[in-house]
Amino acid sequence: MSVNLNSPGHYLHWWVVQISVANAVVIAVMLTLFVLALVLPFPKGRSHR
Amino acid sequence: MTTVPLLDPPTPVLLAPSQHRTAEAAARDTTGAWAGRNREYDLLKEFVIALVVVSLLAAALAAVFSSPDVHQVTLSSWSRSTPNDFVATAATELDGTSGTATYGAPYTHTPGVAQKIGPVSLQHIAGVTHPIDSAADFVVRPLSGIPGDSALSAALAQWGSATPQARQSWASSYDDALQKAPDNDPAKVAVGSYGPVPVMIARLLALAQTGGLDGALLLQGSFYQSDYTRPLLFIADGAYLGDKAAAEHLSGEQWGMMNETGSFPGQAWLWLYTFWYQVKPFSTSGNADALVMALMGVLSLGLICVPFLPGVRSIPRWIPVHRLIWRDYYRNAGT
Repeated sequence: MSVNLNSPGHYLHWWVVQISVANAVVIAVMLTLFVLALVLPFPKGRSHR
Repeated sequence: MTTVPLLDPPTPVLLAPSQHRTAEAAARDTTGAWAGRNREYDLLKEFVIALVVVSLLAAALAAVFSSPDVHQVTLSSWSRSTPNDFVATAATELDGTSGTATYGAPYTHTPGVAQKIGPVSLQHIAGVTHPIDSAADFVVRPLSGIPGDSALSAALAQWGSATPQARQSWASSYDDALQKAPDNDPAKVAVGSYGPVPVMIARLLALAQTGGLDGALLLQGSFYQSDYTRPLLFIADGAYLGDKAAAEHLSGEQWGMMNETGSFPGQAWLWLYTFWYQVKPFSTSGNADALVMALMGVLSLGLICVPFLPGVRSIPRWIPVHRLIWRDYYRNAGT
């Protein structure tokens, strides 16, 4: 199973901003991981005195 | 396996000063040894897990998405795809009006073209470290390596024995005539006094189409021929490479710095660098590269100095993300 990404890219335009859909997806994934890292609880280690 | 002092949050500097003193005072005895709780923490285990997960992820993504696969642009492919553009560019190399011939340092001594930051021209300070004579390096020298062509030999002899003024007159006249010819077609150039230039340009096109010019411009007099500066500069002087780059959204005014060919994601982290090129005064300045580099240098210095910048260093107090990360601690601490 492979995905061919050599086809022409799609771009989003707003004001002076141009961003490829691929870059937008990567940024969205990074932001999602950041939020998950904030929200998900830390794994608890054993603690002792 | 090792144990580490359990001081939540693990970076006490993020605590308010009063909280910081309270936590440390409670956790340390008079000898300075840690007296608080300890948590078992296996650094090696965490490293191995991260390595395995990232390796598997990289292998899986590479298998599914592969990598960009764009054919190399060479002088040969260019001259075969758009021969008229190649010929028009070669004419500018010969009469000294091409982008490379008028670039300034590090390639030529062209005055008044170097980018500046105020009165300082970093381009001039570095000097002409890679001198290029576009007529000699891109046209005459490669042609002189072609054996057994009497017409070419006669043309090169005529060029070599002519005065600089005569050469310039021939080359400029031919370049002008080529610009006026329909589709810049050398076959439709008006009759004129071009000296040996038409023969030289025609032979250079033939040499390029066979791939010989790529090899000739890579000759560096050493075993390894790895300096692609000359063929790349020649190709960049034409419209072919720029048109291909624009079609892939790779040019400067298209945020090309953060794009990749095709539908692949690119270098999104360069967004701020390329952003400046889209807005004034940078988008209309001939000094844009120098100005953007200087601005990013100042901003990077500011990032390094965040702990010392009043106001900026207080942002974590205004946006307390650390309280969300170590929410258990702050909940138990009642703060």
